[in-house]
Amino acid sequence: MGFSIRQVAKRADGGDIVRTRSVAQAELSIGRGTDCDIQLADLAVMLRHARLLITAPGKVSVEAIGGVPVAVDGKFVTRADLVLADRPAVDIGPFRLTLAAGEDGGENGGGGGTVAVTAERVVAPSDAADAAQETSIFSLAGALPSKRSMAWAGALVVLIGLLLVPLLHFIGESRARIQAGLPRAMLAQAAQPAADSDGRLALPKPRPAATAGFAADEVWSTGTLSNAHASLSGNCGACHQKAFVSVTDGACQACHTPAALPDHAAPARMAAGRLPESGALAAAHSAFNLPQGRCTSCHKEHEGAATVMTVAANFCTDCHGGLKSRLGDTPVSDVPDWPKHPDFRATLVAAPSLTKPVFTRTALAGAREASGLIYPHALHQSSTNAVANMALKQRLPVAASGALPCNYCHKPDAAQQRFQPISMEANCSACHDLAFARDGGTIRTLPHGKPAQVAGIIRDFSFRQAFGTPTGMQQIAFDRRPPGIAAPIMPGNPAARASAAVVGVFTGKGLCTECHAITDTNSADITRRFAVAPVSLNDHYLPQGRFPHGKHKSHDGKTGEAACTACHTGVLKSKLAADVNIPGVASCRECHGAPAKSWLSSAAKAEASCDTCHAYHDGSVPAGHAAPARPAVVAAVRARQAPA
Amino acid sequence: MASTAPPKAGSARKAPVRKTMTGKAVTRAPRDVAHEGFLNHRRWRWAKAATILCVVVIAAYLLADPIPRHNGGTWLGYTLGTVGAGMIVWLSLLGVRKRVIGPKPFSLKGWTSAHVWLGLSLIVVGTLHTGFQLGWNVHTLAWALMMIVIGSGLWGISLYAALPERLSANRGELTQKQMLEAIRTLDRQLDTAAQPLGGDDAALVQISLEQCRIAGTLGQRLSGNYARDGNARALGAVQDRARGRPDNDPMQQIKGLLERKEAALAQARRHIAMKAQLELWLYVHVPVTMALLAALLAHIFSVFLYW
Repeated sequence: MGFSIRQVAKRADGGDIVRTRSVAQAELSIGRGTDCDIQLADLAVMLRHARLLITAPGKVSVEAIGGVPVAVDGKFVTRADLVLADRPAVDIGPFRLTLAAGEDGGENGGGGGTVAVTAERVVAPSDAADAAQETSIFSLAGALPSKRSMAWAGALVVLIGLLLVPLLHFIGESRARIQAGLPRAMLAQAAQPAADSDGRLALPKPRPAATAGFAADEVWSTGTLSNAHASLSGNCGACHQKAFVSVTDGACQACHTPAALPDHAAPARMAAGRLPESGALAAAHSAFNLPQGRCTSCHKEHEGAATVMTVAANFCTDCHGGLKSRLGDTPVSDVPDWPKHPDFRATLVAAPSLTKPVFTRTALAGAREASGLIYPHALHQSSTNAVANMALKQRLPVAASGALPCNYCHKPDAAQQRFQPISMEANCSACHDLAFARDGGTIRTLPHGKPAQVAGIIRDFSFRQAFGTPTGMQQIAFDRRPPGIAAPIMPGNPAARASAAVVGVFTGKGLCTECHAITDTNSADITRRFAVAPVSLNDHYLPQGRFPHGKHKSHDGKTGEAACTACHTGVLKSKLAADVNIPGVASCRECHGAPAKSWLSSAAKAEASCDTCHAYHDGSVPAGHAAPARPAVVAAVRARQAPA
Repeated sequence: MASTAPPKAGSARKAPVRKTMTGKAVTRAPRDVAHEGFLNHRRWRWAKAATILCVVVIAAYLLADPIPRHNGGTWLGYTLGTVGAGMIVWLSLLGVRKRVIGPKPFSLKGWTSAHVWLGLSLIVVGTLHTGFQLGWNVHTLAWALMMIVIGSGLWGISLYAALPERLSANRGELTQKQMLEAIRTLDRQLDTAAQPLGGDDAALVQISLEQCRIAGTLGQRLSGNYARDGNARALGAVQDRARGRPDNDPMQQIKGLLERKEAALAQARRHIAMKAQLELWLYVHVPVTMALLAALLAHIFSVFLYW
């Protein structure tokens, strides 16, 4: 009595593997557990699933012991009695156990024989299907498009949208259309001289962004255009004219004509004076065809709203730090940096002239100026002398100190940069009124700047007195006498007295000689006898720089006259017009570039970059150099002094 | 070789050689006792290299004083751009390197280590290349894509630090195939067990059999929310119906099977959720890398075209 067990397994190639063994016992355990007599390796089978028991020869009972029923002939049962002759089949999970009488059983007529059990998997494990499913279930391949297709899609979108389309736009754009797209107002502004009469560059007007719509190649823009060029934002080709060629000076000068924006100096001298690059930077610039000295070397675009005018301070000192070593004949001093900026050399009147005054540049220390005028600042700035008294009588403005204020004569110009030209009529005549007689209700005055006229008027006035002084006419004495002492009576005949009167006007105290040097030519013609020395008043002592006086109305806590004399220190003591009261560079350095006011701030008291005072695009012959730059100012002086 | 070589004159010299050969056939390569991952490969060799690179680049950035501002167009900008572009191309070649199997002078682990650390240093190199001048253009797009790639890589590394352990703990000794097989088997048992049921009850089992998706959509995989899935609905309905029925009622067996299936599904789905996370970053990392290479090409091309 016992069981003969055949377990059939499928080979990978489809063949069967049959393992046979015999068990000499009446009871057989079936399950997934390894201790079972028939081990059925499948999760659907319980560890100890069922039990086969030979109840009688030819009869076997099956009993589910794992809590999960077995199927006998298609029915779920927990227990069944089976007759071997029926060749019953028991299904446990995917396995089918077929029971039959053993071979010996047949011989023994079925009595006490073995039971043949064939265990075979009838429901194939769906390995083949699962292998495909496993990927889709356990990896994201089942939930997302493949990485490869996503990579292609992304790369193509970028390549088409950001490379191909802009490239086609660039290729297809014609120069004529680019030119037509330039805003006219912008072109007009660019063609106007950018520098004002002081050589100072006007800041470009912010322009609205282009309204012509989006251009495909705008996606290549590396950053916001400066506000001066904002109108070009949709018109890349206006500057980027040739592929793979850096923006050329020609592209800039198409709008900014050289006439409107002159070079700093002659190009040849610029090239000679420039500090040559060296090393890797020079090699890189050479390799990529980026020569020095182009517009874009200094003016960087696509850097934000207000940046195209931003130029490094060392850009100036690159050349000017050692200019003399490369450009021996330059009149300009070397300036390595602000702390080593040489003291100013003022442009002074060397020889006054009605037509062609001569200017020279001179070091400030001990400088004297020959303006031709006699004018003691100290006398006019006193608060206690006759000048102050006169100012009070004439109801002129009075400064806090009681003296005439500086701006009585030095009136700021419209830009608050420098001052309006000084004129005798506007600034002197309130006191120096050139009155010589009272004639009834009229004060008779002499014309200024017309010495021949003056001589004629005085001569004729003297002659008139020979016929008796009319009622109401009274000569005004120019020289002061103590009260009660009458003017001496002129000797001689009327002609001699007239000549003497003319001589007295030109040489005596109180009139012309107060301010002017008079030369007696001893000419027989009394109207041509006295020559007044020409006067040329300087209006710009430091024409290479610019000093906005309006920004310096308060200085170091001082305001008004105190602010003026804080820098122009010598004025209150100056007794001669030849004194040059221009402050030196040390005075500027008290604030500009000086350490910050507090340790919390790292900024200097005031900025000290080159362009704080200097301009660049002011032409190749700036004022004060080989040729005087501003004859216009001189012309104004000349007009006042021109003989009648 | 030594044993097969014909004995020569100095056989006395050979004896000690033979003696050594009596031991192991092959000398074992010395191995570290502690596991050295791709992050600390060769005692953090690439981490150190990346740190040095970052320090040098930051120092150069702080020391250089371009006018009007830092950007890709200064000498430092072009230098960083060249270095960065080279690094991006090299880093993306990991995808090629990992497919080439065989002895190489650089191990794949070393390559991966360099990929991770140099990739992280690219944050510094690439960002300082921009000079923080960002806008709506192809150049910033390239930078943004680069940052997305690096960010997704960081995400991937952080997942690899934590998830495999949890993945292993959840899986027990089961393979993925076995998890599927368990569910399949339960399905078969359900199918079989449902045979004697009436129409309404059988329909519930059908829902579990036919409307159950093990993995589902990306959202389901990541959130683990399968409340609307077939098995969960079937189980809920069967639990209602089985309440109060005797223990030997077939519906109780069905309920048991559905509960077992739900448990098997939950285990598989936890596995799937973690696997999804482990893979998802690559679905960002790899396609965005390809878009980045395209944007890089457009960036470099356009810069030199519109110079």
